[in-house]
Amino acid sequence: MPTANVTDARMTKFKNKGKEPSKLRERRIAVCVELRKAQRSESILKKRNISSLPDDEALSPEYATDNKEVISIAIEEIICNVNSNSKEQQTRGCQAARKLLSRERNPPLKEIIDAGLLARFVDFLGRDDDPTLQFEAAWALTNIASGTSWHTQQVVENGAVPAFITLLGSPMLHISEQAVWALGNIAGDGPAYRDALIACNVIPALLARLTPDAPVGYLRNLTWTLSNLCRNKNPFPPLSAVQQVLPSLVQLLHLGDKDVLSDACWAISYLTDGSNDRIDVVVKTGIVPRVVALMEFEELSVLTPALRSMGNIVSGSDQQTQVAIDAGVLSVLPRLLRHPKPSVQKEAAWAVSNIAAGPCQQIQQLITCGLLPPLIDLLRNGDFKTQREAVWAITNYTSGGTVDQVVQLVQSGGLEAILDLLHIKDAKTILVILDAINNMFLAATKLGETEKLCLLVEEVGGLERIEQLQNHENDAVYRTAQELIEKYFNEDVEDECFKTEATERDFVFKPAEVDKQFNF
Amino acid sequence: MELNDANLQTLTEFLQKTLDPDPSVRRPAEKFLESVEGNQNYPILLLTLLEKSQDNVIRVCAAVTFKNYIKRNWRIVEDEPNKISEPDRTAIKANIVNLMLSSPEQIQKQLSDAISIIGREDFPQKWPDLLREMVNRFQSGDFHIINGVLRTAHSLFKRYRHEFKSNELWIEIKLVLDTFAKPLTELFKATIELCQTHSTDVNALKVLFSSLTLISKLFYSLNFQDLPEFFEDNMDTWMANFHSLLNLDNKLLQTDDEEEAGLLELLKSQICDNAALYAQKYDEEFQPYLPQFVTAIWNLLVTTGQEVKYDLLVSNAIQFLASVCERPHYKHLFEDQNTLTSICEKVIVPNMEFRSADEEAFEDNSEEYIRRDLEGSDIDTRRRAACDLVRGLCKFFEGPVTGIFSGYVNSMLGEYAKNPGVNWKHKDAAIYLVTSLASKAQTQKHGITQANELVNLTEFFVNHILTDLKSPNVNEFPVLKADAIKYVMIFRSQLPKEQLLQAVPLLVAHLQTESTVQHTYAAHALERLFTMRGPNNSTLISPTEIAPFTEQLLNNLFKALALPGSSENEYIMKAIMRSFSLLQEAIVPYIPTLIGQLTHKLLLVSKNPSKPHFNHYLFESLCLSIRITCKANSATVGSFEEALFPVFTEILQNDVQEFVPYVFQVMSLLLEIHSDTIPPSYMALFPHLLQPVLWERTGNIPPLVRLLQAYLQKGGSTIATSAADKIPGLLGVFQKLIASKANDHQGFYLLNSIIEHMPPESITQYRKQIFILLFQRLQSSKTTKFIKSFLVFINLYCVKYGAIALQEIFDNIQPKMFGMVLEKIVIPDVQKISGQVEKKICAVGITKILTECPAMMDTEYTKLWSPLLQALIGLFELPEDDSIPDDEHFIDIEDTPGYQTAFSQLAFAGKKEHDPIGDAVSNPKILLAQSLHKLSTACPGRVPSMLSTSLNAEALQFLQGYLQAASVQLV
Repeated sequence: MPTANVTDARMTKFKNKGKEPSKLRERRIAVCVELRKAQRSESILKKRNISSLPDDEALSPEYATDNKEVISIAIEEIICNVNSNSKEQQTRGCQAARKLLSRERNPPLKEIIDAGLLARFVDFLGRDDDPTLQFEAAWALTNIASGTSWHTQQVVENGAVPAFITLLGSPMLHISEQAVWALGNIAGDGPAYRDALIACNVIPALLARLTPDAPVGYLRNLTWTLSNLCRNKNPFPPLSAVQQVLPSLVQLLHLGDKDVLSDACWAISYLTDGSNDRIDVVVKTGIVPRVVALMEFEELSVLTPALRSMGNIVSGSDQQTQVAIDAGVLSVLPRLLRHPKPSVQKEAAWAVSNIAAGPCQQIQQLITCGLLPPLIDLLRNGDFKTQREAVWAITNYTSGGTVDQVVQLVQSGGLEAILDLLHIKDAKTILVILDAINNMFLAATKLGETEKLCLLVEEVGGLERIEQLQNHENDAVYRTAQELIEKYFNEDVEDECFKTEATERDFVFKPAEVDKQFNF
Repeated sequence: MELNDANLQTLTEFLQKTLDPDPSVRRPAEKFLESVEGNQNYPILLLTLLEKSQDNVIRVCAAVTFKNYIKRNWRIVEDEPNKISEPDRTAIKANIVNLMLSSPEQIQKQLSDAISIIGREDFPQKWPDLLREMVNRFQSGDFHIINGVLRTAHSLFKRYRHEFKSNELWIEIKLVLDTFAKPLTELFKATIELCQTHSTDVNALKVLFSSLTLISKLFYSLNFQDLPEFFEDNMDTWMANFHSLLNLDNKLLQTDDEEEAGLLELLKSQICDNAALYAQKYDEEFQPYLPQFVTAIWNLLVTTGQEVKYDLLVSNAIQFLASVCERPHYKHLFEDQNTLTSICEKVIVPNMEFRSADEEAFEDNSEEYIRRDLEGSDIDTRRRAACDLVRGLCKFFEGPVTGIFSGYVNSMLGEYAKNPGVNWKHKDAAIYLVTSLASKAQTQKHGITQANELVNLTEFFVNHILTDLKSPNVNEFPVLKADAIKYVMIFRSQLPKEQLLQAVPLLVAHLQTESTVQHTYAAHALERLFTMRGPNNSTLISPTEIAPFTEQLLNNLFKALALPGSSENEYIMKAIMRSFSLLQEAIVPYIPTLIGQLTHKLLLVSKNPSKPHFNHYLFESLCLSIRITCKANSATVGSFEEALFPVFTEILQNDVQEFVPYVFQVMSLLLEIHSDTIPPSYMALFPHLLQPVLWERTGNIPPLVRLLQAYLQKGGSTIATSAADKIPGLLGVFQKLIASKANDHQGFYLLNSIIEHMPPESITQYRKQIFILLFQRLQSSKTTKFIKSFLVFINLYCVKYGAIALQEIFDNIQPKMFGMVLEKIVIPDVQKISGQVEKKICAVGITKILTECPAMMDTEYTKLWSPLLQALIGLFELPEDDSIPDDEHFIDIEDTPGYQTAFSQLAFAGKKEHDPIGDAVSNPKILLAQSLHKLSTACPGRVPSMLSTSLNAEALQFLQGYLQAASVQLV
């Protein structure tokens, strides 16, 4: 049955695994398969430059059409121009290609590649004598690299990487910027090219361009490229590279431009999306208070990655979580739990679920900072995904919290809220809720108040719901529900361990012969 | 097995025989088939038969046999041989879809099931063509085939609704979506178009609507785990069509059947489910569509009739509204006063009406009616759904909704007042409405515990409920009377006591009514009122307050048992029990008559016990009669024995399993009342109680132990003298019990009684073996429960036989055993002992070990002396378990629903707690102080030095307190 595996898989994601299963800290699970549309809140992996230069004439019909013939004629002309020896023709060809590749719809990436033009474009990158040509070629290649992996691969295999890295040093800012952009697209393709770039020392070359007087547009591109160099797991970027980038990211995170902040924050979120030692590297920079401050931004583009980063950090060790708490994260989270955007509520609830998986001192801080009321509100009124995270928060809380803390949760309406969620259409969440209920009963048992809790559960219709779950199609769900009923709403009987001989009339009183020593 | 005619013929013959009603023909044929099913080609032969046999019966029989064969054998279990050969597997998979689709429906169903069993194992990896093959059939245009495919797909995909998310599962779903989602969508659209072109052809429509229902079910399965990209992109198509289907009606599809849901209802019901799924899980994406669904579903509700066939649809539809209306961002859809009013008027009120089906149940099927109305097995009913909607709406609109309903309640009551004979159902609906509006939280034990403050429950009671109860003609409008009684019952915690007292005699009168529901409700209401708590843990209603009606109450209760249909009415019997318990000595004068009636009843039901609750309360009532009467005059015990023993003997002789545990309990109760001798009638039974067969039934164990304890207490020495040969059998029972983790405490109960009551010399020869058994169990499985019982036992032994005897018997079994037990078990675990008596036994026992055992002073055990003392002080000073056990009067039997299989414990046969030490030691702390003092005078100087070197300061301080209280000093 896959059911057992799933639970185990989830368990291994928790922070304090191996200590005891009740200490749950949830990490973002990397599910390889997705049924949904790709996440809209993530930052973009690759982007095409579709702006037009001020002196560009309006796109003539030949650039706007999808007519194959027209395009192939245009490409014929480009091939002819690019391969000629005339500087002017080369520039004209390059520019025509760039324009085709910059049109909004259906840019003919494959056609340009099939025309064998990439090697020439890469050559042009080295033409320091002709900045215009250099620029047009860089732009064209940038847009090709923004396509699928295959497109990017063609660019790389034509030797573009060293050429672009060299081009970073161009005295012409717009050329250097185009190189930054192209490298960002290549880095965004995945861990392989990202590491290939790192191996070519792209990081020092990029950081050299990070100067106080750099224009903001340039900084935006640069930050985005840096963020792509931090991105992707399996494997993570090498630790040495991370160490190189981090001081600059910290600097960028203190700038005022929202776009820069957004991408720098995304970078932090990628770097913290890993094991505790990865998180540690980031936490040690002292950036956590700044991340907390960024969580207070109104702009979703900043808030989202900041919250994501924070969620990652509190999925780390107790100490790392404590750093976040000390930085004031708990005074920001209540507002985010009440944020109008469901996606923000969900991420905030996820962060809370991880803090709730910590030791009872941290749980106490959750209470003190007033996290319970908004959390319980989300259980009642959040959307499905938010409710799911909030349920995890409750379960983690009840498994690590002290008896008093659990009592406080029940008194704040937590019990009723999770019981109401037992009709949720998701077997896993139901199971997690049952786990929380069980934890609450364990606490009640310690207080000798099981009966009171039974009545409370029954009063709010919970008993009936749990009873119904005994008919649930999912094995684990119905078994857990049944156990709960049997344990707390029923009497139980145990099994026998060994046998006594008997005759018709009576039992034979005779201890078995043993030579073994007694040792208790 | 070759694939030839001879084999087909043989198989046909045997299949034929498996249908024979005569087991001597049928069984061997089944055996034969099982014996050959391991042969290659067996499944292929079956498939051939189900396809080609001339005999239709054989075809179906082959199909069923094939499906069962697949079910048993297809799964490949690790480390077990593959039960179906690879060529057969391949052949089956290659042909089964075709075969299924070309078969008549009866066979199609079996093969479709078989496909889903195979699919569960092989799909998708080992059956890659399946989906493609299925999807290709969508093009066939033959809806018989298409529905076969859809049904199969449904059985393959429905597990997506309940399985946990996993990569493996999602890979499969993704694969299914990639090949299936688009064709399914196309099929959906095409089918809807066909419905329009064939809108006048009823036969075509029936097939097409089955397809639409199946497609809707598939939609639900495929969308369950997460919102797939494809369906998000095509949400417009699906939702627009679902929406228009909800609004669709076609006369041709309306059925005459009132009970069975028709195709239209099934389809719309599924669409409601689909909409509810999206509303719950994909709120963000579904938001734009939601308002129109609310409107459509609401319209649907307004236009749907009262017939039973619409129940599922209506209840699904109402539940959809109920789940939406309590979400904050949809509040606006409902908050308009007109909207609220029409929901109340057109959706809620009509669905709360008492229907003719309810009326039939009330009259002819009272058990079912009571179960639904009283015990809450009404999950899928309209009334329940309407109630949930009221509660959902009250979350945001309690005031307005209460206001609207007040108007309705008044107008319905007005209608009723105009012409009660015709309009009584209006009042029923009004009461139901008030109830659902007012109740916010409810338990079986207390009724409604939280009420809507905007509803004046007492006023309604006085004006509309009490009047009905007071009406002189108790048999008029039985439904309304039952409603009124139920009102008292469920709002009992909310109504003032004087109102309840006013209701009591009225309820007593209703015990005599003809309607089963009505007198059952009256009994139940009385029972619940008598169980209410007043101040100081006493009953709310006192025996004095009931005194004026006592005779009437008892009379009517027993007379009610004679009413048709109520001869084993558990509610009445429970009310009898509760009345006895409440009235106590006030019942004594009536007992001589009543005990005859109870015994008679017992004799009757013991012929065929069928109502476990009734029987249980019957025995409880017997126990109460005995206890209450003998408390006043213990000499009457003989008359009870005289009345009961003949029936008991019959029960035991006929081995009426359900009743045996009860009989033992009542006998224990009777025996315990006797003064300190054991009557010969009991002794004659003694050997029989040791029979292993009795002890094999777990339900017998606690009452039998209890009974044996009573024997030992009253006749320990009689057993020693006149039944000494039974002692090994008695100890055998102990050994049997001690072996079980579930029953070991029962074994200790028995052992403790033996130690306490048997003359020491009668068990001398067994003592060592007893301890060896305990040590063996300790060695093999040491549970906390066992250790607690063990500690109590060894200390009881020490109290009874002395500390030296305890130490010697331990060390005789194995050198240094005594020290090991002290160190590993007593010292660390004695703090776990709970219970006053148990603590006292341990305290006295340990005191003796500390002060009366020379080995503790002069051997290597000496190092354990201080830790043991420290543990004892800990036992004294641990916070007391101050939870007061429930007074038995209030005990509810339904609190232990598993009682049938477990032990049917009679609350009123309760055993008084027994203190084997009794007054010999009143304060164990003083005993400790005095004993230490005695010890210190025997060896001056040693005790203070042991204390000062190794006892911690806190313990020492407590000890000083004890010494002071006892006015002694250590020297």
